[in-house]
Amino acid sequence: MALLYEMVWRFLHALLYVQRALVAWFRVHIWRWKRAVVGLLLPLALGFHNPKKTGPVGKRTSRRVRFGAEGRTLEKLPLHVGLLITEEEIHFTDIANLVVWCMAVGISYVSVYDNQGVFRRNNSRLMEEILKQQQELLGMDSSKYSVEFMKNGTDKQEHQVLSCQSVVKVLSPDDGRLSIVQAAQQLCQAVEQREKTSKDINVNVLDSLLRESKNIPDPDLVLKFGPVESTLGFLPWHIRLTEIISMPSHVDVSYDDLFGALQRYATCEQRLGK
Amino acid sequence: MCRHFLSEEEDVIVQTGESTVMSWIRERELSFLERVTGNILKAGPMPKHVAFIMDGNRRFAQKTHVERQEGHSQGFEKLAETLRWCLNLGIHEVTVYAFSIENFKRSKEEVDGLMELARQKFSRLLTEQENLEKHGVCIRVLGDLTLLPTDLQQLIAKAVMATKAHNKCFLNVCFAYTSRHEIANAVKEMAWGVEQGLIKSSDVSDVLLGECLYSSNSPNPDLLIRTSGEVRLSDFLLWQTSYSCLVFQSVLWPEYSFWNLCEAVLQYQLSHRSLQKARDLHREDQALQQMEADRSCVAELLQHRGNGKPMDAQSRQKELLNYTASREERVRCFLNALQNKRDTFISDLSSQAVVA
Repeated sequence: MALLYEMVWRFLHALLYVQRALVAWFRVHIWRWKRAVVGLLLPLALGFHNPKKTGPVGKRTSRRVRFGAEGRTLEKLPLHVGLLITEEEIHFTDIANLVVWCMAVGISYVSVYDNQGVFRRNNSRLMEEILKQQQELLGMDSSKYSVEFMKNGTDKQEHQVLSCQSVVKVLSPDDGRLSIVQAAQQLCQAVEQREKTSKDINVNVLDSLLRESKNIPDPDLVLKFGPVESTLGFLPWHIRLTEIISMPSHVDVSYDDLFGALQRYATCEQRLGK
Repeated sequence: MCRHFLSEEEDVIVQTGESTVMSWIRERELSFLERVTGNILKAGPMPKHVAFIMDGNRRFAQKTHVERQEGHSQGFEKLAETLRWCLNLGIHEVTVYAFSIENFKRSKEEVDGLMELARQKFSRLLTEQENLEKHGVCIRVLGDLTLLPTDLQQLIAKAVMATKAHNKCFLNVCFAYTSRHEIANAVKEMAWGVEQGLIKSSDVSDVLLGECLYSSNSPNPDLLIRTSGEVRLSDFLLWQTSYSCLVFQSVLWPEYSFWNLCEAVLQYQLSHRSLQKARDLHREDQALQQMEADRSCVAELLQHRGNGKPMDAQSRQKELLNYTASREERVRCFLNALQNKRDTFISDLSSQAVVA
């Protein structure tokens, strides 16, 4: 009897696996088809509209205007978005696209995270990709969007005060539990050296230690990419009120996917206690 | 400020008459189809500990045009039913979010009403001893009980003491709880350990912090389910659910069905392998960090001792093993002392109740 149940279970999971694979295949192929069609039609459309503007520049200008305007149509925009990648294989170009789109839409802080520390180890590669995609997606106006890259602790770059500035932070599991443990060690050392007593320790003290000097707000929204349904160690302390929206994959992700998620965030209602 | 969906669960008004007072565990067997489905699921990996954020009572009441109290009443019924399903599926540990520390900011009237409710529920629990013993249910209450009115503290302590010896299944009720308070409290306890000279600040680690949480007697939840379509954690088990499967379901809590639970378990099974991998990776990292910490402590010690002679690898290794053993002993003593402190607190409260 147990064998029969096991066979049914295996069959059920095989079906689900096939269904997932099909859905993923369709998503990628339909997106590629859409992109090809748009790539063909958009220059034509612009050609009719503004005969004076040359193709690529016209396309980029219209896109920049579109990003900013669309950002303003949303009821609320997150201040800080976390991009949580649960997939094993990471496509840096797609991540860079996401970061640039977030900035263009008007999100001030973007964090990028994976639980194996791949982003942390390839920090410079990610930075390069982001700058490259910034050029490509935003064209002439990319200078208006300055990006500050922050690594944990070691970064001492000056803040550039320009009109649209975003901060991109690269995170790894060390920024989660390990940071809390380090803060705990610091407090215990203070107690050991009789600078503090155990009664002085409370949520606010710990919170201020974890915030350090950077004053980055807690993530309002986490976009989780990939099939794994978990936060995989992403900033446990900071995600107390964070909305977690799942996306199927970061590979070949489109601006429309991102905007759809932002729209969904805008409709989330945080009922405050009452 | 986060929302206190679960305080809605607590907002139940117990109807008059003993027969209509709701039980904490429903007595109802599964239907044939439910049993078959359960058995199929059990052929795969099953979660051993499930956490519930039971959200949606008020919306349910609005939807079905009943009083808010009725919505909460149904919510509590659903909890009892869900516990039964979990037992049937072999899930022996359930954690639920009942009352948040943030809830104290509500109006005095509302808070008093909620406290009265809790009194009634825990009193009811004390009258159900045989039933709970039959199922071997151990009730634990996680949170900062000192924030509650004294008589409620005593009632809770009695309930906890009464079911302490049971070990077939565990129900953890988070009351006067938020995850941040829990973590800060764990740090406070470690600082207390340092003050008492039981541990050193260098003994503080990921693992030790986990052992100082209110939930230290439970394994981390494998699966966290939140109903009513909200997709946030709302300050619940933030530390413990880092590598748990999170399932957000749009069904309202009072409408939760056995099939919804199966759907969540299925989701858990699909993510199981990746989560196992992530957890193993994390455990490896923890072990590595601990080893590094021990090494640097030993290096410091040897420097202090410093008799000028460089140590050979073998002696260094021996020193490291010695240090690790003594650290583990220190930590063990500290954790015993902490458990004693907590047990004494509960038993004192419980005996006060008897005297009163």
